[in-house]
Amino acid sequence: MSELKKSTRTSFAEALLEVGEKNSNVVVVAADSASRYGDFVKRFPERSFNVGIAEQTMVGVAAGLALSGKIPAVTSYANFLAFRAIEQVRVDVATANLNVKMIGTDTGFSSAWLGFTHLALEDVAAVRALPNIVIIDPADAMEAYSATKAMFDYIGPVYMRLRGRKDEPVIFTKEDKFEIGKGRVLVEGKDVLIVACGGALYDSLKAAEILRLKGIYATVVNMATVRPVDKKLLTELTSYLDKVVTVEHHNITGGLGSAVAEFLAEKGSGVKFLRMGVKDRFGTAGSEEMLKRHFGLDSGAIAETVENFIKEIS
Amino acid sequence: MDVSEEKIEVIKQTAERIRKDCLWMSTRAGTGHLGPALSLAEILATLYIGILKLDPQNPRWSDRDRLILSKGHGCLALYSILSQVGFFERRHLKDFCSRFDTVLPGHPEMKLPGVEANTGSLGHGIAIGMGMALAAHLDKKEYKVFVVTGDGELQEGSNWEAAMAAAHYKLYNLVVVVDRNRLQLGDFTENISRLEPLAEKWSSFGWGVKVVDGHDVRELLLAFEEIPFVKNQPSVVIANTIKGKGLKIAENKVEWHYKVLTRKQYEDLKNELALEELCDE
Repeated sequence: MSELKKSTRTSFAEALLEVGEKNSNVVVVAADSASRYGDFVKRFPERSFNVGIAEQTMVGVAAGLALSGKIPAVTSYANFLAFRAIEQVRVDVATANLNVKMIGTDTGFSSAWLGFTHLALEDVAAVRALPNIVIIDPADAMEAYSATKAMFDYIGPVYMRLRGRKDEPVIFTKEDKFEIGKGRVLVEGKDVLIVACGGALYDSLKAAEILRLKGIYATVVNMATVRPVDKKLLTELTSYLDKVVTVEHHNITGGLGSAVAEFLAEKGSGVKFLRMGVKDRFGTAGSEEMLKRHFGLDSGAIAETVENFIKEIS
Repeated sequence: MDVSEEKIEVIKQTAERIRKDCLWMSTRAGTGHLGPALSLAEILATLYIGILKLDPQNPRWSDRDRLILSKGHGCLALYSILSQVGFFERRHLKDFCSRFDTVLPGHPEMKLPGVEANTGSLGHGIAIGMGMALAAHLDKKEYKVFVVTGDGELQEGSNWEAAMAAAHYKLYNLVVVVDRNRLQLGDFTENISRLEPLAEKWSSFGWGVKVVDGHDVRELLLAFEEIPFVKNQPSVVIANTIKGKGLKIAENKVEWHYKVLTRKQYEDLKNELALEELCDE
């Protein structure tokens, strides 16, 4: 990991511009959220629409554009996209399997002081309840860049989670490959499997370092695609790792933890399992660091929780 | 404007065919939103026979005019007109709500040729139509997009979001037709959440407005021929109609929103309305 910091939103905008240069069918629809599209709007004003503070209309308009052969992106604060407009996402986009790219921003704890209305901790659960939609939660700006490109290469509806803070730590390089539906082992260890995504990956990696100093060796997987979750990789890893912890900046209900739990339970893998995330509570106002501490999701808390989990079941 | 009597006559006959098909399909299936379909007959017949540029043999022809039935529960009428103009064979009408996974379900889906959007949840059509109208501008195409809404449907706020945005984008190729039958599921619209003054609402949102008798084919034709009513503005036709039109016991009756004839009632009306045999099979 480098000391670099970069916003996932910035990277998304950079990748979008490149995608837009290559493919004139790519269009963007904003709900007073045009700034998230960065330079695309300046470069392609005729392909950039803004319907005002009207997320339902934003998604409906995108559906109409997709039905006419365009490849539209929509974006908003994740809660207003995944909740305010969820019915349009369901009826207009998901049922028809339309090629609409939906980008929820300020997810997890990244909207910080804006309080519970803006802290997006249930958006994945809402979208994951709908068939057909691929869900990607990139871990850093580099992955957001490559995931954006992959998202536009893929034909069909995608929901991507971004944050959007300048101080987001960078984990990967631009050369790191991203493939939809593929998890990736970043650290190998024999004692426990930690599966993380999005903003939770960085602290999970830090936690693995802390654990290593204590003689506990964790395998850490980046599961950036929450749907479809990488079943093949999980099957492989749980053939020799019998303790699994998921970590996400999301409610433990309906997100990555649920996706992994559902798969492993139905498979009868028999692993010991722990979901880390927000435990069925709403967010509250605070800095990102405060919120992570509050919900027990900073690197120290993750390490401690994993250590206790291993001790309790050993 | 020249509107030939022959054309009007063909459209009227088409509308009557829609009504008979609605009664036939809904009675056979024992279900369907009959009242809200019957009020649509002249609106859809006029648009599909007299106005829309379509190629039923090539349903996805990129230059076609689009029609979205935002009041998806009126689909009985849509299925009839789509079959009449040749999007699919009439024999499929018997599948309405009477065969598992039918392409003619209780609300229209795109799996049926000629259906432009999945509808059934109210307040979605105008935004989708707006997206299509924007695409026409991007592609430098001349097609128009028609969105047929209910009147009760206009209580959904999403319509007004889209109405505001469509006017802002000067979508002169977007047309909303309001089936103003004055009734919704539970009561008259004006008793539940008042819509009037409806024309003024639309014009204050930046739309060109015409109010017509929605059962008068000539009036409908003349209005549609004049689109856009105002340069660089989207247009709305408020078509005053009668819910359940053509079926006396159902006309203007709230309970006929989601009610159909019994087979006995159908048989009793068969001669008077020249209805088809129900022909079980």
